[in-house]
Amino acid sequence: FYVRASYQEGKLEARLSHLQSAVDEYNKAKNEFAAKATEEEMRLLRFQRRVEEEKGERVLGSSLQDTMHCLISAGLHKQAEQLYKDFRVPDKRYWWLKLSALAEKEDWDELEKF
Amino acid sequence: MILLEDRKMAAHLSYGRVNLNILREAARKELREFLDKCAGSKAIVWDEYLTGPFGLIAQYSLLKEHEVEKMFTLKGGRLPAADVKNIIFFVRPRLELMDIIAENVISEDKLRSPRDFHILFVPRHSLLCKQRLEEQGVLGSFINIDEYILDLIPYDGDLLSMESESAFRECYLENDQTSLYHTAKGLMTLQALYGTIPQIFGKGECARHVANMMLRMKREFAGSQTQILPVFDTLLLLDRNVDLLTPLATQLTYEGLIDEVYGITNGYVKLPPENKKAKIISAAFEERHNAKTVGEIKQFVSQLPHMQAARSSLANHTSIAELIKDITTSEAFFDNLTVEQEFMTGVDTDKVNTYIEDCMAQKDPLIKILRLVCMQSVCNNGLKQKVLDYYKREILQTYGYEHILTLGNLEKTGLLKLQTSARNSYPTIRKTLKLWMEDANEQRAADAAPDAAGVAQHRGGAEDAPGPHFEERQQLPAGLHKKRQQGENNTTLVFFLGGVTYAEIAALRFLSQMEDGGTEYIIATTKLINGTSWVRSLMDRLETLPF
Repeated sequence: FYVRASYQEGKLEARLSHLQSAVDEYNKAKNEFAAKATEEEMRLLRFQRRVEEEKGERVLGSSLQDTMHCLISAGLHKQAEQLYKDFRVPDKRYWWLKLSALAEKEDWDELEKF
Repeated sequence: MILLEDRKMAAHLSYGRVNLNILREAARKELREFLDKCAGSKAIVWDEYLTGPFGLIAQYSLLKEHEVEKMFTLKGGRLPAADVKNIIFFVRPRLELMDIIAENVISEDKLRSPRDFHILFVPRHSLLCKQRLEEQGVLGSFINIDEYILDLIPYDGDLLSMESESAFRECYLENDQTSLYHTAKGLMTLQALYGTIPQIFGKGECARHVANMMLRMKREFAGSQTQILPVFDTLLLLDRNVDLLTPLATQLTYEGLIDEVYGITNGYVKLPPENKKAKIISAAFEERHNAKTVGEIKQFVSQLPHMQAARSSLANHTSIAELIKDITTSEAFFDNLTVEQEFMTGVDTDKVNTYIEDCMAQKDPLIKILRLVCMQSVCNNGLKQKVLDYYKREILQTYGYEHILTLGNLEKTGLLKLQTSARNSYPTIRKTLKLWMEDANEQRAADAAPDAAGVAQHRGGAEDAPGPHFEERQQLPAGLHKKRQQGENNTTLVFFLGGVTYAEIAALRFLSQMEDGGTEYIIATTKLINGTSWVRSLMDRLETLPF
């Protein structure tokens, strides 16, 4: 319920507070996975806001995968790398992502590097 | 859009042993009666969802005979101009549609000549909807508010569907029994036309509910017994969740593949436009050169319409088959199939599957991923905590956190679950019912629909399959007991609660045709489904406001 409500909020702060309520509910229902996933989503949203403020990339609200894709395309490798570590993204998926993002951009230099 | 099979035309409903045309005629009669209630010229405003199902009941010509001059699609704002006396709304009982109707009516009233408004609710009217109309202040504007009971729509000579998209979701996720009530009602209508069905077998919770409702309704109507020789010997009610696996797997029958690739709605399929026309034209009329005498030519001409139909039908099917073949021979299709078959034969179903991982890494459509993951879960009788969490996490990270609700739905309906006991019962079922056939070509049909065909054959003998199993008998009025001729087939009505796939239909047709089978199957369902449409009906789509 709170999850649904959170998506009807155009404002980040409001959405975060709904999600926090969702975390509480999930914890009450002993749904550990969902609680953790929700916390991660909140962390991702905060991260996305920081990137938007600092780098001006529009990433807020997209999935982790899309966010990393966007960051790599924009040449923000450090940030992408950070997400990869913070969210424990499996290597395989990350390399796929990095390859396709770089190939799309035709950034062969960066491709050479790994 | 082309008509998928010419068989779908009305005349052909009377093919099999059970003449479904009677049902269709009954439905048409009721429609005519309603239309005649509104004297004078009419315009029909359609709830778009209903046009497909109605097309199976009544062609435009029928409506025209009853002075229907214009037809519009229901949408907000003002109705298009039409010089008619009556405006009839054909709608499903949905509140949001009531608001649109109210908007239509209000903006209309300000204009010139007074008109009569009518509403026809399909399949039932609802008090809530009337209340909504009253709140909007337009209830008084309607002269007739009626319901048109359209429960079971004849689809084919042996196929009935209620076309209720959300039936599975309502029954198994939301615990809403409305569609079960409609099912029971539909079966009562059927019994009124085709006689009481003496035996009822069932499998699953929902089947139990439907049977109970039917028996109750029958008691309420006691006394008004129909004096019709029963056409059906047995009714078999099956819960969809008895077999969750079949719809998840890719259907490998012809009709099934068309459905998988292009999607069939209401007997129509939308194909890409290329590749079709040239062939039909070039192939036709070659035979004309073979005719010699006047008599032969005359005979040829008399056959022309039929031949043309057959030709174009053949040409259509050839090009469809070609289109499908392009896809089935592709590597992606093959890979996908290999994994499905691995799951079904129980290879490594307790580990994270690398193919699924790869698909997610490449961001393939979410529904495809969900189908595969659910399939693995079903074949393995649930996934280990670690595997399940891994998949869920990957899905959320790749496709977005909002899908957490969809995952929740899949878990609630049992499509995705945690392995609770170490014992995996799927291989046992697989063996007892001989569901898996190595090297199977014609057998493929029966094989493609494991439990359904199995249960139908064994009359629910699969003890391991989930859900309670029950049996009821309905008393027939004396003198109506069917005297069975030697060698005459049994007729069984199989009702799938929550949807049926084309592959399962093919499997049952296959059983009907088997010479030693001795049973003819008529299939009924709440909705014709495939894995994609089915999983989609369980998804929660959130409308995200952009930041």
